[in-house]
This record gives sequence, structure tokens and C-alpha cells, in this order.
Amino acid sequence: MVQDTQKPQKSVLLRTIATPLILTALMVALALISQAVGSRPFNQTMIDIFVRVILVVGLYIFVGNSGVLSFGHIGFTCLGAYAAAWLTMPPMMKELSFPGLPEWLKAVQLPYGPGAVLAALFAGVFALLFGRVLMRLSGIAASIATFAMLAMINTIYANWESVTAATNSVVGIPIVRTIWPYMIGAIVAIFVAWAHAISRFGLALRAARDEPTAALASGIDIPKVRLVAFGLSGVVMGLGGALMAHSIGVVTPDTFYLGLTFITLSMLVVGGMSTLSGAVSGVVLLSFLIQGLRWLERGVPVGNSTFALPGGLQEILLGVVMIAILARRPNGLFSREFAWPFGARGRRGPALAANQTVPGGDA
Amino acid sequence: MFRTQLMTSLSVLALSLGPATGALAEDADGNIVVGFATAESGFMQAYDKPAQDAAMIRIDEINAAGGLLGKQIKVVNADTKTDRAEGAKAGLSVLDEGADMVVVSCDYDFGAPAALTAESSGKISFFLCAESIKAGIQGVGPHSFSASVLAAVQGATMAEWAYTKKDAREFYRLLDTSYVYNKGICDGFDWMLPKLTDATLAGEDVFKNDDASIASQISRIKALPKEPDAIMLCTMMPGAVSAIKQIRAAGINSMILNGSAVDGSYWLSAVPDLSNFYVPVQGSVYGDDPNPDVNAFNALYKEKTGSDPATQYTYPGYSMIDVWAKAVERAGTIDADAVVAELEKMDNEPTLFGPRTFTSDLHHQNKARYLIVETTAGKPGVVDEWTISEPVPMDALMK
Repeated sequence: MVQDTQKPQKSVLLRTIATPLILTALMVALALISQAVGSRPFNQTMIDIFVRVILVVGLYIFVGNSGVLSFGHIGFTCLGAYAAAWLTMPPMMKELSFPGLPEWLKAVQLPYGPGAVLAALFAGVFALLFGRVLMRLSGIAASIATFAMLAMINTIYANWESVTAATNSVVGIPIVRTIWPYMIGAIVAIFVAWAHAISRFGLALRAARDEPTAALASGIDIPKVRLVAFGLSGVVMGLGGALMAHSIGVVTPDTFYLGLTFITLSMLVVGGMSTLSGAVSGVVLLSFLIQGLRWLERGVPVGNSTFALPGGLQEILLGVVMIAILARRPNGLFSREFAWPFGARGRRGPALAANQTVPGGDA
Repeated sequence: MFRTQLMTSLSVLALSLGPATGALAEDADGNIVVGFATAESGFMQAYDKPAQDAAMIRIDEINAAGGLLGKQIKVVNADTKTDRAEGAKAGLSVLDEGADMVVVSCDYDFGAPAALTAESSGKISFFLCAESIKAGIQGVGPHSFSASVLAAVQGATMAEWAYTKKDAREFYRLLDTSYVYNKGICDGFDWMLPKLTDATLAGEDVFKNDDASIASQISRIKALPKEPDAIMLCTMMPGAVSAIKQIRAAGINSMILNGSAVDGSYWLSAVPDLSNFYVPVQGSVYGDDPNPDVNAFNALYKEKTGSDPATQYTYPGYSMIDVWAKAVERAGTIDADAVVAELEKMDNEPTLFGPRTFTSDLHHQNKARYLIVETTAGKPGVVDEWTISEPVPMDALMK
């Protein structure tokens, strides 16, 4: 199917492993910084960043590789978050919030780890179901259809009183404030995305993105390879949703709607839609920018006076910075994957070639 | 190589920052710290700011009178940006700055994340003006309280008052299903109605806050054999204005009973010459409160903030600091469990805005004195006051 796979598999793996390893190192570094700083709000900010990394990497798995912009992925995050609530809340609180749940589900109370894994799989199953239908569409039709899916999920969750508590806030979800589970989640998401990207499905999907006609002629079943990516990204989005629920301890349907959809999409686009490195660094950079501006809004002591930006300027400056970045680099900040610094791994030539394999023809 | 450098710089960072941490039980100067994890931006600011200003007035009064337990009350702030995830951070942030008590956003949905952080640190949290039973033990935990009165009490108050004082017998229930608060008002009304001998429900209907027209609901009211004596309107802004306007434009002149959410004169110009319109309030912003101290408070509020209180939701902030400070004085310590125990002993504790009661089951008011504000020819004013004959029971609140 894809001629490249005739080369030993190990070679692709070795040529591209630098990317997830560097990104993992970045995640570990962030977690260590958070430990070192030791302030709880800072720790919470880092947890937020890890959750966003999971979400944006989840988006990247589908959007980056297929080139189809999806406005619906936050729907899977919603599914994951509520599934985590159903699985991990104490049975007594579930009786109050979700009287309509089946008895066996009301009786279980899992630790957050297994709960998050099951919640991710739950979201993945729904992604496969929706994907069966949606993946036959292309271009703008597919994008709008994913948006319709988001609206559908949101409406159901905002109205199904006995099972989702409708628009009421769901409380009683165990809150996890240590940073490690979130770091591990982000690293798992990065490796899943990388493994998918170098797999035959990932390669075929990028081929279909860049040259649909040629890909079809080479025998690629486009709906199928898209469906694989959609299901996998659904799992990762679900994992993000579950961890997001544990990081705040409250879920409501309106958390998982347009606001989160657009901030995650902009992080992906600004970072570089077609690369995993772009997805991850987009989150990290924009999150730091947002936090930095918020910090300036609160005021910084300069000598005897306090320098503070007018309230609300953060949102405006963020928009300006994003426009500036996109004007300078329409493909996002990182349209190439991170690799070892020069000379660290043999000649430069093959390393570059390998980089281009992963992002596809965006040069 | 790259990683080695990274790790080296990280460990330097770790060493330099390591010891400068940890949540302080109390401010370094020995002050008592109140943390406001409230909205300083976003739409919740409109609700949080006035109540927070009122709370600051009480804090300033206490500090001027020598402080609490001989210590000054210090205030720290963190902005929730009307965002739940930021709310959790804001809660942690004020706790790290040593907050002994955390004040959270007015609305349950937006205040809960910060309240939960306070609860997990074993600190007291107060919702500025939440009116859902979840804003307290039921939705946060045993250290959480609300400064306002349950929505159900408002519905029950209006039903009983209209029945007793205005001889209303036939009620019509019109519920806006968009918000939980509205449902709470109608729940209280539903609980009270069967207790009122020969009061009947002439009919009921629902609408949505953003419905442009409630013409079909109105025609069903018009189709009744006789115009109902009172319409229990369970709704809030902004949909309330349009609903009221349409009811009156259709020529329905029944008295309209509401929850506190429609208090204030800012919207009355949209329904000129509105009459026969009743709202329960904790204190009057119209300068005619029967308690002269409330009018004095309004003047002080105007002096500090430059404008009169716009609605009664300013007041709970003041009562909140008042009852909390009293409990701290009585406990003789700032320890959360001891203060909670003192708060739970409060039975009809007098405050500027009516008596307050907390129990070990309910950190909220299931019975309260309300002033009744009547709007006549577009002019609101206090006409009466009413306290429901018995508290709203738990099962009516948990519906």
C-alpha cells in the first residue's frame, strides 16, 4: 500500500523518536518547574496546561493528519468528563445528581485512574460511531457536520436531567491536585499521536490529505483511515475530558462548548496544525502568554508604583499576538517537528527527510 | 547535551525556589485574612462587585473598631474571570496567600470550584449571594455557607403574603425553565400553595428566558374563565422584562409575584407605568427601608462607591462578614471547625438585613424576613414585610 513501509519499520521509528522524546522532556520539565515553585495556583496552572496539551494533541491526531478542521472534538471531551463523573463519584452523590443512571453504574466507584481510562474508551466508542457517518464527508461539509455533532452532544447533555443533571453543575468528582497524573496523561497522548502518525494509517491519512486523488489511486480507503484517526483522537479527547473533570471537580455542559473549542483550535493552528511539536508548543506558548498577560493585568510592582494593564486587555493582546504569528507564519510556529540538535544523530540530511515524513508536504 | 543543560538549569531553579513555599495558616503579620475569589471581570462581576463592596464596608467597620480577636482583617483578591477553571485557581491563590475564609462568586456554578478548593483545605467558604441549596453542605461540604436566602423561600413568601394580605385565591404559575434559580422559586411556591386553604392553581405554563414571544402562554391565560388573582412568575433577567411587558400589554392586570432577581428600578422604564407588581427583598434600595440603619448603609455605600446599591443583592455581602465575624469572636479562634460550630449555633441571629439561622444540616436560610416591594405606576416602594409561617422543608428544597 505505502511503499515506504518496505524499509525496516525500526528505521522510521528511530528517525522520528526524537520528537516525542523532546516533547516528553518538555512535559517533565514543566512538571518539575511546578514542583520547584511549589505554589498551588501555579501548580493548577500547569495542570491546566497539561489538560490542554492532551486536548490539542487529541485534535492534532485527526485535524493535523487529515487536514479536515473539526469543530466537534470538544463533544468527546464532554463525553469523557461526564463518564469520569459517573464512574468516580460516591454512589450517594450519584443518587442525587443522576437518579436515571442504571443501578450497576450507580453502585460503582472507581479510582480516578481506571475511571479516566474507561471514560476515554467511552468517548472513543462514540467517536467511532459518529465517525462511521461523518468520515464519508470531505472539506467544509465535514467541518460543519462535526460542529453539528458538537451541538447535538451539548443539547443532549444540557437537557437529559436524570442522567447528566442537565445544566446543573455536577459536584462530587474527586479532585486530583498532584501534577503527575496529568503529566503522564499528556505524555501518553503525545506517544499515541506519534505512534499513529508513523503508522501506516497515519501515513496513508497524510497522503490522502495532500493528494486525495493520488491516494485513492494508490488504493487508500480514505474514510477508513480517517475513521481510525477520528476514533483515536476521540479516545485522547475523552481522556482530556476526564482529567479536566478531576482537575476542577465540577462539570457542566457549557464548559465543553464553543469557548473550549475555539481556544484549543487556535492553540493548534498557532502552534502548527500539521506537526505534533506545533500542537504541543502551541499550547505551552499560548498558555504562558495568557498567564503572563493576566499577571500583568493584576499588576507588577515597579519601584514604588504598580504597573498594571487595563482589565480585559489580555484577551485583546492575545488576539493581536495570534494574528501577528499567523501573518508571519501561516503554517503556525512549528511547521517542522522537533529533532535532535545538529549533529547529535548522524548527518543532517536524513534527519530532515525524516522530519518531512511526519508533517507531510507543508514546506 | 540539550537535556543536560536543561536539567542543570532546572535543578538550579529548584534549589533557588524550593523553600519559598507552603500554605501559611495565617498572614505573616498575624492578621486574619479574608480571601475574595470572585469575578473582577466577565459577566459575574455585575453580581459579585456590589456584594463585595458591601462586604468591604463591614470589614472596614470591624477594622476601625479594633479588628477581630485583636487582629486586623486583611483582604486578598483573585479574579475568577467568570471562568470555572480560573475559579479553582483563584481559590488556591487566596488560600496560598493565607486566607482563613474564602468568599466565592455569587452564583453556585461559578463559585463552586473555588469553594471546593477551600473545602479541601478545611477552610470556610461563603457564597456571596447564591440561592441554591447546593451552595453549602449539600453541594460543597460542611465548611461552606451562603450569605443569601434560598430561592424557594422567595416563592413561598410571595404565595403566603399574597394569600393573606391580598386575598389572592386563584394563582397561575409561569415558570422560565432556563435557570435552576427560577425552578427554586416555583418549588417554594408549589410547597406553600397546598397549605393555603381554598387557594387553587388556575393553571401553569413554562417558557424560556430567551423566548422572544410568550404569546401562546398569554393566550392560555386569557382563555381562563376568570383572570387569575395572582401570577407567580418564576424568572430572571433579561427575559423577565419581556415577559412582564407582554403580560401587561395583553391586558392581564393580575398581580404579578416574583423572586428577588427582578429587584431594582434599572429596567422599569422598559415597562412604563407598571403596577400591581411585587418583589421580595432583604433590604430596600429605594431609600424607604423601615430600618433607618439600612438607609444609613445605603448612604455609606454611595459614599464609598459613588452610586446607590442597584439591587438587594448588594446586601448579603454585608450580612456575610457580620455573621462570620461574630462567630469568630464567639469561638475565640479562627480555626474553621470552631467557627463553623459557632455559626451553626446561630438561631435568628439579628443582622441589618433580617435574622439569620444556620444548622448542622443547612448553611442557608430556609426561612427569612422579607420586605415586600410593590411597584405602582412605575414606582417601586416597600409596602409590607413578611416571614413565612414555617421553614421550607428539606424535601421541597432538594427537588
